[in-house]
Amino acid sequence: MLRFLLVRLFRAALTVALVVTFAFVVLRMSGDPALIIMSVDAPPEAIAAFRKAWGLDDPIWLQYLRYFSAIGQGELGQSMRDGRPAMQLVLERIPATLALTLPALALKLGIGIPAGIYAALHRDSLMDRIVMVTAVAGFTVPSFVLGLVLVLVFSVQLGWLPSGGQESWRHAILPVLTLGIGGAAVLARFTRSAMLEVLGQSYIRTASAKGVPWPRVVRGHALPNAAVPTVTVVGFMVGSLIAGAVVVESVFSWPGVGRLLVVAVANRDLAVVQCILLLVAMTMVSANLIVDLLYGVLDPRLRSGAKAGAH
Amino acid sequence: MSSAPLLQVRGVARRYAMRRGLLGRSIDVRAVDGVSLTVEHGRTLGLVGESGSGKSTTGRLALGLEPPDDGDVMFKGAPIPPAGTLAWRQLRARMQMIYQDPLGALDRRLSILEQVREPYDVHGLGEAGERDAMATALLQAVGLRADQGSRYPHELSGGQRQRAVIARALATKPDLLVCDEPVSALDVSIQAQVVNLLVDLQQELGLGLLFISHDLKVIRQVSHRVAVMYLGRIVEEGDADLLLASPAHPYTEALVSASPVPGRRARPRIVLQGDPPNPAARPSGCAFHPRCHAARERCKVESPRLLPLPDGRLTACHVAHDQANFLKAAS
Amino acid sequence: MADVTVTALPATDASKPKQKQRIPLLVWCGLVWIAFIIIVALFADWLTPYRFTAYDLRNRLALPFHPLHWLGTDELGRDVLSRLIISVRISLLVAFGATIISAVLGTLMGFLAAHFRGLVEQFVLMLADFQAAMPFLILALSVLAFFGNALPLFIGLMGLYGWERYARIARGLAISAGAQGYAGAVRQIGASPSRVYLKHILPNIASTLIVSMTLTFPEVILLESGLSFLGLGVQPPMTSLGNMVGYGREYLTRAPWIMLAPAMTIVLTTLAVSLVGDWLRDKLDPTLR
Repeated sequence: MLRFLLVRLFRAALTVALVVTFAFVVLRMSGDPALIIMSVDAPPEAIAAFRKAWGLDDPIWLQYLRYFSAIGQGELGQSMRDGRPAMQLVLERIPATLALTLPALALKLGIGIPAGIYAALHRDSLMDRIVMVTAVAGFTVPSFVLGLVLVLVFSVQLGWLPSGGQESWRHAILPVLTLGIGGAAVLARFTRSAMLEVLGQSYIRTASAKGVPWPRVVRGHALPNAAVPTVTVVGFMVGSLIAGAVVVESVFSWPGVGRLLVVAVANRDLAVVQCILLLVAMTMVSANLIVDLLYGVLDPRLRSGAKAGAH
Repeated sequence: MSSAPLLQVRGVARRYAMRRGLLGRSIDVRAVDGVSLTVEHGRTLGLVGESGSGKSTTGRLALGLEPPDDGDVMFKGAPIPPAGTLAWRQLRARMQMIYQDPLGALDRRLSILEQVREPYDVHGLGEAGERDAMATALLQAVGLRADQGSRYPHELSGGQRQRAVIARALATKPDLLVCDEPVSALDVSIQAQVVNLLVDLQQELGLGLLFISHDLKVIRQVSHRVAVMYLGRIVEEGDADLLLASPAHPYTEALVSASPVPGRRARPRIVLQGDPPNPAARPSGCAFHPRCHAARERCKVESPRLLPLPDGRLTACHVAHDQANFLKAAS
Repeated sequence: MADVTVTALPATDASKPKQKQRIPLLVWCGLVWIAFIIIVALFADWLTPYRFTAYDLRNRLALPFHPLHWLGTDELGRDVLSRLIISVRISLLVAFGATIISAVLGTLMGFLAAHFRGLVEQFVLMLADFQAAMPFLILALSVLAFFGNALPLFIGLMGLYGWERYARIARGLAISAGAQGYAGAVRQIGASPSRVYLKHILPNIASTLIVSMTLTFPEVILLESGLSFLGLGVQPPMTSLGNMVGYGREYLTRAPWIMLAPAMTIVLTTLAVSLVGDWLRDKLDPTLR
């Protein structure tokens, strides 16, 4: 178990390092940072001074190492637009994003998992059909279309709810619904297929043939085993708490991290983009680590490590 | 050149690292442990042993498909180049292999003819326009009809597939053919046909054969010499008639007794006790001692070496050598 | 589930031969829609009633079923139908281009991993893990922030989406084919690696790869339309489905049809490809999840 943990920790660190490398490579490939960050018509002396200050004339590997250490110290640069530290700008926006993504996650889990389990246990029932159709729709309808249709119905036609902004909790209802419905459908479909696979296994048939009451078979054998693959999907959802609302925040003019990212990309505000990229990477990696730990709890095979070599 | 044996395997070893669990330390499993073999031009060496004895790995080492961890393999007096290099690929024209599972060894999306002509394409033999005719002739030489060339592997029977695999292997007129359990997957009635085909082709083409099988009955039909493997080592090697008529090693004895020959008086059947050999848990001393009816104290601690007996065969058994020494002293 | 009848057939999966012949109605609808949309994309120049950038200032914000503009017009009087047809072409071009790039790249990476093993394999798997762990939208947005978005670059960027799936499939199948199967046998004949991989392994795993392509394709369409919706994908005056939805959003209250026409097209297309993809997977390759 300790070794398992260490391997996972190492891989998590590796992923973060890869993201930093990715940011560095993309930054350097996109052209001369001096020319991008300074305006093109800046005086040559100012550009030279900038190059010197940022060490842009040093060999590339030195710049790479310096870049790493700067990020390690939390120096993520200033926003080009208002000169404030990028980190501060991003952190300010996180509560707004979480105000959407956390209730949406609760919605996904609260609807998706029970619906998936129910559909699997009552295969081919009406409920199963409804879950499957909704799940396909949840996958094929993009979130911006769903969001706009909800606005069209509930704001424009019925006038019940506001179409955008962040003034009150009522403003959050439509974006949370938009985020939650699609995710719940995907999760329901996934839970259903994981359950069906488990229910088809011989140990389930054996347990039920031995006379174990069906509810106990489901609780004792089917659910814990079906939980293993489902946890992965949920882990990804937890990991995208920060990054998962980019499109929806834009649809509803919600001032969260996603909106900030879109504006930063449009304005080529590199420091902010890079800061969000790293933050998202950290979140994803932490979520993956938690998922791996849960795996250890849920799947005894992983504790002894028989399967860990398969990757 | 001609003085050198066709294939000479000298003290090869192959180890695999096996890990038990994540916390478990990795163990070296010695699949092949210091094996030496010689295959002469136009002769057959039968290699017999149970599954897990390392005989298939020996076959792959002999062809240079895997690099040995120790020892070397000489083909016509020259070492085999590393697998995958151009020189190694060119050498494939001289040495070929027949597989246990002919369906697996054939590409199910290509017709038989396309696959049999592939060696010509690969090695650039013959004019491109003639290759189909050459391949068809080859099919007929192994007893398939010309029209079967347009079939796909799943449309043929097991025996026919194996004939196609043999045809493909012989396309470049190789000098050495390694047959790894070539008939084990076939019906008993078909086995004899394929074995006879191999023997005929050997006489016709002067092939040297390394014939690997767990089935002593088949080994007996084809082999000039026989080597018996147990847990990665050769325990007995010698002239086929001599070795199979009067085995010296208790393991060979047990194998021979389990495979009676029609028309000869059956000797008492020796049934092997104990677990089948496991390369991951090799017993101390002579690896065969836990299952050996003649085992002594010495066998548990001291590993016997493969040494010649007075009749010329090689045996790795303390008991057999003691008996021989006793007889020599008595005479 | 419980009433599995034991038949004398060898251990093939319990596929019902009756269903093998018939294509389900929904899949038929999907196929028809895909064919329709491809024809529209191919013959877009002949099908558009107007140039997609042409203004008709007398008929601004015309309602659908207008005699001159079947799907209405937008704020500038541009014909929605013409814009939709051109958008279909651009969106399909991006999605096809990206899917093909991703499949070729991923298969190549998988083959490299299978051929060289060792460090190369570890490197490819590490990249694949990285790609699978990061939300692609975020990676794509960062690249767009740095490089801007010319159409070829945009297609190339979308082509990085999902390569890791092909890489995993290609690697796994190539290794198993090489270990004891036909690929090992061909290698043993002396065939060069390119011959082994291109002439033997690739045709054998093509059906699996094509199935994954149909499963990835709708995701690429959604990704493209999402980015274009945000104004970061295909740039005006060029138009794509997501672009149109983004533009139509401004007129949601006054002219919802500007948004609804492309939105419906996106939904129907992804739905059709998903249905066909699921059906193909069940038919050709049940092993694929």
